[in-house]
Amino acid sequence: MPKFYHDDPEWADIEPIAQEDGGPHPLAAIAYTDEYSEAMGFLRAVMVNNEYSERVLGLTEHIIKMNAAHYTVWLYRAKVLEQLGADLRREIAWLNPTALKHLKNYQIWNHRQTIIDKLGSPEGESEFISTMLEQDSKNYHVWSYRQWLVQRFDLYTDEELKWTENMIEEDVRNNSAWNHRFYLVVGKKDGQAVPEDAVQRELEYAKAAIRKAPQNQSPWNYLRGILRHNKLPIAMIKGFALEFADVEKPDDVYSSHALDTLVDIYAEEEDKKEEAKKALELLATRYDPIRKQYWNYRKGLLGQTSAMA
Amino acid sequence: MAASSGKPSSRLEELLSSSKRVEDLSLTDDEYEDMETISTVLESANATYISSVALPLQDLLTTETSEVQDETLEAILPFLEGNPNGFELNSFGIPKLQRKIHIPFLHHALGDYPPQFAAMDASKPWILYWCLQGLTALGCSVDDYRERVIYTFASCQHPQGGFGGGHGQLPHLAATYAAILSLVIVGTPKAYSSINRSAMYSFLGQMKQADGGFTMAPGGEEDIRGAFCALVTLSLLTLPLELPPDAPARKHGLTSFTDRLGEWIGKCQTFEGGISAAPTNEAHGAYAFCGLGCLSIMGPPKETVNQYLDVPHLVQWLSYRQCAPEGGYNGRTNKLVDGCYSHWVGSCWALLEEAAGPGIFNRSALGRYILSAAQFKKGGLIDKPGKRPDAYHTCYNLAGLSAAQYQYKFDERANGDIGQGALGAPYYWKVDGEWQGDGVWGKVWDKDDIVQLIHPVFVVPWGKAEECRSYFEGKKDL
Ligand SMILES: [Zn+2]
Repeated sequence: MPKFYHDDPEWADIEPIAQEDGGPHPLAAIAYTDEYSEAMGFLRAVMVNNEYSERVLGLTEHIIKMNAAHYTVWLYRAKVLEQLGADLRREIAWLNPTALKHLKNYQIWNHRQTIIDKLGSPEGESEFISTMLEQDSKNYHVWSYRQWLVQRFDLYTDEELKWTENMIEEDVRNNSAWNHRFYLVVGKKDGQAVPEDAVQRELEYAKAAIRKAPQNQSPWNYLRGILRHNKLPIAMIKGFALEFADVEKPDDVYSSHALDTLVDIYAEEEDKKEEAKKALELLATRYDPIRKQYWNYRKGLLGQTSAMA
Repeated sequence: MAASSGKPSSRLEELLSSSKRVEDLSLTDDEYEDMETISTVLESANATYISSVALPLQDLLTTETSEVQDETLEAILPFLEGNPNGFELNSFGIPKLQRKIHIPFLHHALGDYPPQFAAMDASKPWILYWCLQGLTALGCSVDDYRERVIYTFASCQHPQGGFGGGHGQLPHLAATYAAILSLVIVGTPKAYSSINRSAMYSFLGQMKQADGGFTMAPGGEEDIRGAFCALVTLSLLTLPLELPPDAPARKHGLTSFTDRLGEWIGKCQTFEGGISAAPTNEAHGAYAFCGLGCLSIMGPPKETVNQYLDVPHLVQWLSYRQCAPEGGYNGRTNKLVDGCYSHWVGSCWALLEEAAGPGIFNRSALGRYILSAAQFKKGGLIDKPGKRPDAYHTCYNLAGLSAAQYQYKFDERANGDIGQGALGAPYYWKVDGEWQGDGVWGKVWDKDDIVQLIHPVFVVPWGKAEECRSYFEGKKDL
């Protein structure tokens, strides 16, 4: 059933503001339904009056149902909730099915963040996020929101780490899960080195993941990211990389990422430029030829003094 | 994990298993005579090429990621090797750029929409920008739209500054970005003067945050899009670099729009080397362009990009975005190829190569993906085969094609006296000719498949940004 306001006595005091399109034939004009058009007219009017009331809350809910991608309605709704001191738990309960219906929506997550921030408790959020990720395991907004949650409520916990492990276990190629793990391990420290036992644990964790699928780039990036963050020499993983590629055995390569890693390892060693070049050659001609020019660029970097970590 | 399920199909297996395939498929003169038509020769040549750039290593372990990747490649390969759409082919055996169907598609997208498109109500500025930019990339004049563009945006402008998605909507930096670029594309003083510049200045001042970044809207999210959209606007409108007196960031000791901004962008570079929406988020192609765009507005990219980013690390991450054998880009590690990243990633190169040196990316493979796999049979361009066309993917595939086809160079001597003031760096680009191949890869397009020049930072037709800047540089007051 469409809902209208013009004959609703509760709204009799409001003169809706009709949409102005600026001219006779605006571009990309939408032939709104009467219902949408009228609701927006009332929203424009209450926004001009800065009205923050229960009825406006209802109006925003009505518009969101018709168009959840309307940032103005979301931002205004957040303001109304704040001014009214509304029950924010109720807001979250209402928000959950709405979010599940609109997986790619930006606004919902910003709204949720605003609400949970005010509520001051992450209770129930982990469960909800898991439900969202079951639908779309790499959703950027959901992962960013999860990160915000960790930061806001200091959730750098073993439980959270265990949760990322489950996500990675489910799909070892889920790069968003690896990124979240990296954040948990190093994020809080803001540039500080990670304690040695944690480093060892993470290196082993990434190595085990690589052994499952050596051509999966996510754990390689993670492994090298941890080393780089702690300013540890990349030579530390030389033996490991050699398990998957050896420039002397060009037919037995199991991972192009191992070759890439070896390039940087050899670049830091004395008199190993030739080995580094051989690895680059293998990448350019056999194991990753679409990036030929890039491998050539890397060859150029070898000539420069301090190689990259 | 069941290793047996989701097994790549026979075609894929064949492609990946035989390392001798390249030699097997190279055609001798005799074999040519056996071919029925020239086009099958060309298709066979395409198949040879594809197998030569396919990654020979594939893990046996099956996960959701590998399953969707296998399915996707399966759907794309017929388009890379053959011509399922029946398009006319160019001299490289690749579909020609189908201007005749893309142009009407974009004109149509500027027209009226039925009620079920209400969800677009807040993104109309984007639709206009994508269509106008797409049309100009295809060589169409958009002069006839000028009046309508001006008044459509007049209704989106907020009295307190900035543009929203429509009449009565709150100002938003994404809508503002799309509005400004659209007005720049149609050009003329009438379009420029329709922008309330002093209100815009004040609105942008409200968006600047204490940590150096920008929020997208009052109470909205802070991410690198905000920073890019704000800098594009500040630069094109020649607004003062000084924060307005009432800017909240002033309370935290900031005085300029660019204070702490380079550092903030630097924090968006992740452990993978790419750039994320906000510090510590996952590296993502679209945000990489925003970050590089910002730095290229703040100064000559050779200086700013090297100052705030680890260039070799970013080059590495960006290179890995190119999918093999698809040739197009994905946006993140272990994600699928998508035509819009032809621009978001492809257009990073002009900016990044200023800092890293030229000739790093595979233009040829990118061009192949766009022409072979991203053109929709009935017009418009797409994410990947099987998807519907839209103005967004049309605009950004074409921008990516332009990025593959032309070489741009930053040159301190270009453009005479435009861009002397603050944020003037993006007015010093010049065209360094069409790309002709680099000895490793050759071009895969003919003259007719070449799109128009596009400004590497602003993504508007060549010359339009300069016209706008020069108009506002002539204005003494806000
Ligand atoms: Zn896309």
